[in-house]
Formats: sequence, structure tokens, C-alpha cells
Amino acid sequence: MLRERIDPVQLSRLGTLPIKARVIVEGALSGLHRASVHGSSVEFSEHKEYSPGDELRHVDWKAFAKGDRYYVKQYEQESQLTVYLVLDASASMAFAGGGIAKLEYAGLSLAALAYLVIQQQDKAGLIACGDREIDTLVPPRARSTHLHDLLSVLDQLMTRGATGDESPATALHRIAELTRRRRALVVLASDLFDPDDETLAALAMLRAQRHDVSVLHILDPHEREFPYEGLTEFHSLESTNRMLVNPAAIRRDYHERMQAFLTRARGVLTAAGVDYHLTSTDRPLEATLLDLLVARARLQPGKRAS
Amino acid sequence: MLVGILAIGVPIAIHLIGRRRARVVKFAALDFLLATKRKTAKRLRLRERLVLLVRALVCAAIAIALAKPFTSCERKGPLVTRGPQAAVLVIDDSFASGYLVDGKPWLKTATDEARRILRQLGPEAEVAIVRAAEASDQPSELTRDHMRLRDQLLALEPTARPADTTRALARAAQLLASSSHSRKTVYLISLLARTGLRTDEPAWGKDGPALVTLDLRSGKLANLAVTSLKVDPDPGAGSRGMAFDAEVGNFSDVQAKVELQLAIAGRVVARGALELGPGEKKLKRFLAALPAGTRVTDASVSLSGDSLRVDDQRWVSASLRDQVRVLLVDGDPRTVRHDDELFYLEAALRPGDREDSGTSVRTITAEELAGIDPKTRGRAPQIDIADFDVVVLANVSALPAERVAVLADWLRAGGGILIAPGDHVDPAAYDKTMLPLMPQSLRDPIDTTWGASPEDRDSRALHLVKWEADHPIFAPFAKDDTMLADAKFFKIALLGPTTATADRKVLARFTNGAAALVEASIGSGRTLLFTSSIDRDWNDLPIHPGYLPLVQQAVRHLARKHAHGTQGDHLVGGSVVLATGDLRRLEVRGPEGLGAVFEGDRITGRSSVRFGKTDRPGIYHVVGTDQTGATRDRDELAFVVNLDPRGSDLTAAPASALPPSGTSSAAPPADNRRRVELWHALAALVLLLLLAEGFLVQR
Repeated sequence: MLRERIDPVQLSRLGTLPIKARVIVEGALSGLHRASVHGSSVEFSEHKEYSPGDELRHVDWKAFAKGDRYYVKQYEQESQLTVYLVLDASASMAFAGGGIAKLEYAGLSLAALAYLVIQQQDKAGLIACGDREIDTLVPPRARSTHLHDLLSVLDQLMTRGATGDESPATALHRIAELTRRRRALVVLASDLFDPDDETLAALAMLRAQRHDVSVLHILDPHEREFPYEGLTEFHSLESTNRMLVNPAAIRRDYHERMQAFLTRARGVLTAAGVDYHLTSTDRPLEATLLDLLVARARLQPGKRAS
Repeated sequence: MLVGILAIGVPIAIHLIGRRRARVVKFAALDFLLATKRKTAKRLRLRERLVLLVRALVCAAIAIALAKPFTSCERKGPLVTRGPQAAVLVIDDSFASGYLVDGKPWLKTATDEARRILRQLGPEAEVAIVRAAEASDQPSELTRDHMRLRDQLLALEPTARPADTTRALARAAQLLASSSHSRKTVYLISLLARTGLRTDEPAWGKDGPALVTLDLRSGKLANLAVTSLKVDPDPGAGSRGMAFDAEVGNFSDVQAKVELQLAIAGRVVARGALELGPGEKKLKRFLAALPAGTRVTDASVSLSGDSLRVDDQRWVSASLRDQVRVLLVDGDPRTVRHDDELFYLEAALRPGDREDSGTSVRTITAEELAGIDPKTRGRAPQIDIADFDVVVLANVSALPAERVAVLADWLRAGGGILIAPGDHVDPAAYDKTMLPLMPQSLRDPIDTTWGASPEDRDSRALHLVKWEADHPIFAPFAKDDTMLADAKFFKIALLGPTTATADRKVLARFTNGAAALVEASIGSGRTLLFTSSIDRDWNDLPIHPGYLPLVQQAVRHLARKHAHGTQGDHLVGGSVVLATGDLRRLEVRGPEGLGAVFEGDRITGRSSVRFGKTDRPGIYHVVGTDQTGATRDRDELAFVVNLDPRGSDLTAAPASALPPSGTSSAAPPADNRRRVELWHALAALVLLLLLAEGFLVQR
């Protein structure tokens, strides 16, 4: 378990997004050691003779010592892991009950993931949804410079704030087209507030295409608890709807409906084989990231691909 | 008010501020709220708007109420202006006010109207109530104590008196004259019957108060009434036969058929019908016999009920009258009839010379009186003095002592003597022989016109004043009755000094203080001395209306036989003189129960008592207790009281009969609109709205 976790609010006050991502990853990895979880997605396959252009770090120096020839290690899957990070930047993600906004929480989570993925030489791409007018797509790359690009886009998205009412389903369908049946890891950070349940359907569809799918279901504590008192006028973030209501009078009813929603989301996604993680914006980001990593490590490759 | 109406904006502002003060939360999961509590939100919004509306109305109502709004409507009642002023409500509470209009007494409508006026006058008005029934002399004063006035109005009941509206208006004017207010108004709530308004003496002149007359008559008021009932012996119907003459008046513009019935001692004995033209009066005669064994009883004639029932019945006391036997001794007989000393007295005692006059008269000269003395048997025609109840010595010279002795014996045995002087009476001779018959000795007469010119003769005449109104002789006369007071006395006999005051009483005096009529009891008999002539030699009393009842009453008093038949003429409010005889206690019971009790000092030593509480028409029974302690009904003293028939005529008086509306009041506005204050209703509305607001907020 993590002994020292950084409060998301405090984390959000740190410097640039790369720093934040690094802090999260380091926090998560320190937790990993304590959790004694090991593994890697990259395994040795064969040697090939060195030719210019190959990465020096892959030169097998032991083989050079024995045969005075340069051989380069060939791995079973070279950068074979493609990770699509999907950020739900619709207006509902702008909600911030007491801590940071869900959008910021989602952005930080995905930034940390991107940092981790690219550090591992894997490809990481980014798709944002929400504003139908803006097409945000960062193709998956594994270069370290790509991390900078990806985090810059992510930072812009977080700075601009959540707008629009586009469902993440659009972005998920787009991933399905982009991957062209090549297996990928899709990580969606969203509140899943989708009146038509299109997002759940799209996730199930991706899972059916043998993609690995993880969902970070992010909710604000206020959305879970509904702690409001006194006459309150609620304004919708995605529409012009508003409602003046006494929260105490409807709290119980709200709780029931929220619980039904969560139960349904978990049920649908779990049944489809989606790695589902419900988290709250007041939960330390490294803990959320660690949960995600641990869950993925526990999944066996074969099962994962099946 | 327009500025005040801006207060409506206050709750709206509060509402908007409150709405703004409602916490605004941009919420992502609004769909959950919308799905779950759409209905709640609608209700909340409706409640909010209702509260806003109620608060706005409260503010508006307060602002409008403070502006004292009013409206106007057609004035139904009289013109009433609110504010400081003096006003008198003159209300007709005569017996006619019991007239039923739509099944409700008119007086009830009148008092309702009076209370409405009282309310409209406002608390600053000084108001008095004056009742218009005759002899309603209750104290009244201008007051702001409207509660007491309202109580007085509620307690008003129809009296049994006719209306005397003119007197009431004059009383109202007197009350208002004492007020310092410039606005003075008399509100006359009356049936405006012409009989209650006297045109010869208006209540006030041009400087009087303003007069507002309320016309509460719904059309013409038709009325039928028994206006008179007389009873006389009917010799043709036997010794107990009586003839009842009932006069019925139709005070309406239409023909009327009236069914009448006669009841004697409470039992209907005869019925009859009358056809009466508009405004017509007719007599209906009933012939009936008094029940066997009854000498005195009550009887009544009533007609089928109309809208004013109180005057539909009239009572009379019927009695078998005893004949009074009178021996008239003529001291100055003349061959010229009207010069005779007894010309007027005989006519008065036997009016019309009818057999049923109740008096049998025998006239003799002074010389013929010698026949009463048995010693003169053979020399003069004998007269048995015991055959007579009363002897009248009219201008008779002093009698010889032996005749006086006979008369004195007869007098002490219960006889009655009336002595009237004249030119033949010599006081000195009377002193010698006549004193046993006289209450007091005579002195020389005085002639008040001696030496006066014919023009001054009347002005120097004496008049009768200060008579004993309670005495049976003067029972028919009111105080200062002109029937007696107008008579002029030119010569009267003075009386000598006396110490015999125990049995002697001066019943009447002249304006100079000299005794006019003196009574004394001698033995069981009574003697009366009239100090002027019984004919016109010394006075002109015989040609005045009071002469006949005076001498008839005097003769009956001396004979101890009072004319019960005359008791039927008592009207409500009048006083009745009851001869007490030897009774030591006397109780009068009227139609409404016990009227009065005379005992102790009120009856001891008196020959009569006067009963004045004749407030209701009907039969008044008398129960007497004699010296032995025996108590029984005294039918001979029972009497009946009737309404004054003047009040039955409800014909409307012409407008000219009312006094002019004076100038001391502000002129009323020309339009006939009435101001109706609305702020009371608005205040009530505010209260209701505040309750509603509290209810809504609590929910």
C-alpha cells in the first residue's frame, strides 16, 4: 500500500504536466516495488547482426565479447504495445465539487500513463472527445519527444477546460478504425455520463475486437454523496437545464439512482471484459494509477488477448 | 397611494433576491435530478410563485388601505354625513308603529334604520333619541355613547299612545339648540300620520335644524279600527238590556268588509258585519243583556285582525246604573224659564230629559220644602225626604230651624246636600239656622265687577283653579281643564272662619284664593257648599262644557253612586280616580298584571285615589280590602282603558305639515350617492393573505 500519497489538489499545484506525470509514476512505481509485482511486456526472441541505425542499447555486448561481432537483440514484439489514451473532455467533466475537476483528474491520470508507457518504449496516443468542433488526436508514438508532444496537447486540453457534449463513444469508434484490428490498449478516463449508454456499448465493441480496454470511471465525491443543503439551483453543465430544489428532499432518491447507474456501468463493462476502475477525484492519483497497473499485471497475456 | 403601490416591488425584489440567494451549483449529474424530482421542482416553483403573488398582494392591499379608498353607490336610506355634528333621531313608537309590514312590525324596520344612521354618523357625532309617541317624556340628551343609544333602540317597543310627532320634533329642536355644533340634523323616522303632526304650531321656524325624513311606508297603510264603544241601558231589552254602539273606522282608500263580535265578560255573545267605504266610519249597534247576577261587567267589541291589531278591539265597562234621586229646591223660581234658578241645573242633571239619564229629579220651591216636616202635615203637601238621595238648595233663603233639623237628621243618616248661594241668601240668617247643614259658615258675597265698566268686567272675573284633581267630582277633568278654567265668576260668597277642619275640605278655589267648593262629612252624609250661584246670576259656568259633568259628578258623589258608564272613556295614559269608600287596601290589576297597590298613607283618610299607570288598553280589575279585612273583587270600581282613536288614522301627512328644513346645517350634496369605505375589507384581506402566506411558507 502507498504510505505517502499526494493529494490531487496539491499535485495539481505542481509545475508542468510532465513533472506531475513523473511524480505520479514514481509514486506509483514505488508502490509497485512494495507490492512485489513484476513483469514486462517485452521478451527476447533472437540475435541479428548489427547494422547502422539499430539502437546501440540493444547491442548484445556479451555476444560481441565472444565472437567479436556485433549482434543486436531481437525481441518478440518490438514496441508492440500501442496505448490509446481517451480523455473525456465533455462539459460534465468540468465539475469540481470540492477538489479538482474531473477533467483535471482524468488528464493527470492519462499523463502519468503516457509517461509510463513511453518510458517503456511503448507507443502512446491520445484522443479527446467532448467538443465536436475540435478534433484532438495524437497518433501513438514511442519516441521520448513524443511524450512531450502528447503532454503538451493534454495540457492544452486541461487548460481549455471541458466543453461540449460529445460522447466518448465517438472517440472509441475512431480508435476501432485506426487500429485496424491491431491489438491495442485503450484507456478511457470519463465520468460515463452518457444518457444513451453509447459509451458502454462502444467499450464493449472494442473489447470484442480483442483490444485491451481499461476504464477510469471518475466521479466527484459530491456526485457520489450529494451533500448539498438549503435551497439550491442546479445548472446542467451540458445543457441549459436548471432546477431549483431542496436537496434534502431528493437526496435519498438521488443516491438510489446514482447507485443504480454505477451498478449498471460496472455490470455491463465487467461482463464485457473491460478493466473497470471507479475512482473519485479526492483519491490520490498514484493510487488510482497503481490500481490500474496492478489490475493489468494480474491479467495474463493469453487471457488478455482472448 | 401610487407611491405606496410601488411596495408591490418589495416582495418581488425579495423573491428575486431570494432566488438569487438560492445556491447555484453547476452540476454534472443533473439528469438524475431531472429524472427523479421533476414533479417536486414543479411544485416548488408553483409554491414560490404563489408566495410571491400573496406577498405582492399584501403590499398592494396595505398601500391601498392606507389611502382610505372608497366607492359610492346609490343611496338607499337618508342622506347621512359622517363627522362631528349634532343629530337627533326622532322615532315613532306610537301604537301604530306595531303595524305589520311583510309580517314584521314597522318599528323593527325603523329601529334597524335608526341604527344604520347611527353607524353612519360616526363616533364623533353627538346623538339623541326622541320618541314620538304622545307623552313620551323620557329624558334624552345628546351623547357620544352610541352603545347606549343602540341599546335604547333595541329596547324600543310600540307604546299604546298615539303619535305626537310635532311635540317630538320640537323636543329635538330644543336639544339641538343647546349644541355647539354647526351641523344639526333631525332624522325623522315616522309613519308620518297626519294625526301626529299639527300644522297650526310647527316644531320650529326657518332657523331650525335640518330635517331628514325617512319614508319607510311601503305604499298606503290601510287600517281598520274600533274607534269608539259606548254602552247605554236598553230599556226595550228588559231590565238588564244594554245597547253597545261600536264605531268602526276604515282608514284606507278601498272598500272594506268588517266582521265584528261583541264579548261580555270574555264570552262572545253577538257577531255582526259592516261594509265600510274608503275613509268611512260607521256605527254598529249590538243589543245584549248583562249576565244574570251581574251589575257591573266588562265588554269588548273586536274586528277581524288586520295589519294593526292593537286598535282592533275596544273595551267598555257596562253597569246597571242606579238612579240618583234628586230633590231640587228652587230659591228663585221664575216664570221665564231661562231666568229660573234651576234652569241650567235641571238640564244638566237630565240631559235631553231622557228616562235613562240616571237621574230622577223633582223640583220644588223653598216653601214647598215645608212638606218635609211632619209637623206641617195638613198645611203643606208632604214630602218624604227619605225618597231622595240628594237635596240641592239653590239660592234658598235660610230655612226655619225645624226644617233644618229634619234635613240634618236625614243628612246624618247618609243623605247628601248641595248648597249654592244666590241673591236670596243672607249669610247672617244662614248662620242662625243653616249651620247644621253646612261645611262652613257664609259671609257676605263679593262682587269682583263692582264699579267696573262693561269692558273691564271680564278681565276682573275670577276663575276656578287648584281643584282637587283626585276627587271623584273632578275625575272627568284634566288639570287646568279649560272646560272649567275658562268659566268666569263675577260674584262669590266668602266663607267664615272655622276650626272644624277634620271633616271639611276645600275641593276647589278661585284665582283670588277664595274657596269655591267645600265638602264636609256630617254623620254618614255629605254636604257640599258651592260659593257661587248654580245659575248664571253670579257666573257663566252653566254655559261652559264643564258644568254638566261637574254637577252630575257632584250629585253622584253626594249620592255615593258613581257613574260607572263614564269609566269607559279612559284613554291610555290618562289617570283614573277610584272612590275608596271604607277600603283600607286597594289593588289595581291591569292587562299586564299588577298595576298598583294603595295602602297605608296612600289610602287612609282619602275618599279616592288616583291611578295613573294606564299604559296598556284593556280591563283593569280592582281588588279591595275593607275595614273588616275582607278582600274581594270590586267590580264596581273596575274600569277599562282604550286607545286614543286618533292614532288609528295612518293617512300620510302632507309635506307641508312638516317643519321647514332649517339653515343651521350644511346643505346636503345634490347627488344621491353614498360613500362606502373599503379599507375595512382591505384590512381583512391583508389578514387573510398573511395567513395564506404563512401557510404556504410553512409547507
